[in-house]
Amino acid sequence: MNDTADIGIFDLAIGFSVLAIPLLLFLYYRIRLVKDLFISVIRMIVQLMLVAAYLEWIFEMNNPWINSLWVFIMVLIGAGTIVHRIGLEWRVFIVPFIMAGLLSMIIIDGFFLGVVIRLDYFFDARYFIPISGMVLGNSIHHNIVGLTTYFEGLSKRKELYYFILTNNGNRKKAIRPYIQEALVKGLNPLLANMSVMGLISLPGMMTGQILGGASPVTAIKYQVMIMIAIFAGCTMILIMSILYSNLLVFDTYGNIKFSHKQPKG
Amino acid sequence: MIRSEKISLSIGNLNLFKELSFTIERGGNVCFAGPSGRGKSSLLKMLQGYILPDTGRLEINGMELNTGNIKGIRSIMAYIPQNINLPVTDGSELLKLISDNPQKEEVSHIIENLGMPAGMLSHRFDEMSGGQKQRIVIAICLSLGREIILLDEPTASLDNGSIRKLMSVINSLNNKTVVSASHNAEWIQFAGKIIEL
Repeated sequence: MNDTADIGIFDLAIGFSVLAIPLLLFLYYRIRLVKDLFISVIRMIVQLMLVAAYLEWIFEMNNPWINSLWVFIMVLIGAGTIVHRIGLEWRVFIVPFIMAGLLSMIIIDGFFLGVVIRLDYFFDARYFIPISGMVLGNSIHHNIVGLTTYFEGLSKRKELYYFILTNNGNRKKAIRPYIQEALVKGLNPLLANMSVMGLISLPGMMTGQILGGASPVTAIKYQVMIMIAIFAGCTMILIMSILYSNLLVFDTYGNIKFSHKQPKG
Repeated sequence: MIRSEKISLSIGNLNLFKELSFTIERGGNVCFAGPSGRGKSSLLKMLQGYILPDTGRLEINGMELNTGNIKGIRSIMAYIPQNINLPVTDGSELLKLISDNPQKEEVSHIIENLGMPAGMLSHRFDEMSGGQKQRIVIAICLSLGREIILLDEPTASLDNGSIRKLMSVINSLNNKTVVSASHNAEWIQFAGKIIEL
């Protein structure tokens, strides 16, 4: 296989010119997205340039502590983003969400890197960081949906919870309908995404590997494994976030005691 | 037996009740009566352990209301809420949610005694009137066979005929303690004992 063909600066500039089409449409229809488009594109470029710089350094060092620290930072950012987007109290929920992210990543990375791919060097940055990043990155959206469903359900439809708790006496049973709803709403889009993979969506990781010179068969094997890892990881992070949060959101009498602001847009 | 000794409850600056003492014997039928906002529903919540009295002591079957006893206290109770718009599809789903050993035949029997066809248990709640839903919820809760039955405004969605059928079902319960909160004159009269708030 050949190396990926590089894109020159001039060609990159030509690539950007295609943005003229949405830009002209926004102007023609007077849609106030022009500023947002510029900000988003500039942010993307700056962020990716920074990522390229420090990933290159991280890959060069390939140190287990630095790599683990990097994954830990990704978990922190993910947990913070989820707490912020759902509108929950930081001091209550940040620790359970971090715990859920860390434990899930230990299990997922341990299984896929240690058992399935069987790397000689477990913390190899080429595998450890992108695979952790893909699982964590995908889990953010699905966790926001699932956890919003869970906490909104408990705060807006609490009658059912108290009804089951008094009449059955078991708190696990009283929260089960809310957990079921959260898992269905959080994970359904991921299942739908998996079921049309290759037909409607062309997975980025597979495409990237093929462009990078890997054989399509190897790329597909990795894509299947990463999708399994993402699904298992998202499920674990979501359920663990709920279960760890539950240690803090109920008092000893079973009263719901968390406050929940309107989720961010 | 339920025994309250000088219990008081205030929410914010509002005193709902002060130094309230009462005894409800086993098998008794007691109604908390009074205008809205006097703490009738709060008192029912207190009996379930969701609200604690500011002062005083509350004892249910010899168990003081505290975290150690709360599971035991709830295990002898059935609670029928005022808001029966629960987010479930039908009565069968609700029954499975609250009962580890669902007694469908018993629920169907109570539903018939409340003046509806037994098959209503599996009818969709969103196709039912408030009164029908309320009777289904009541039947499900009574089928649990608990010793203490708490009813919050049980007549809220019922017509006079249905209220009388409910009274007849309650009268047929053996040795159950019935505690309700209501401002319906006929229901208050039906209770053997009235605790005015």
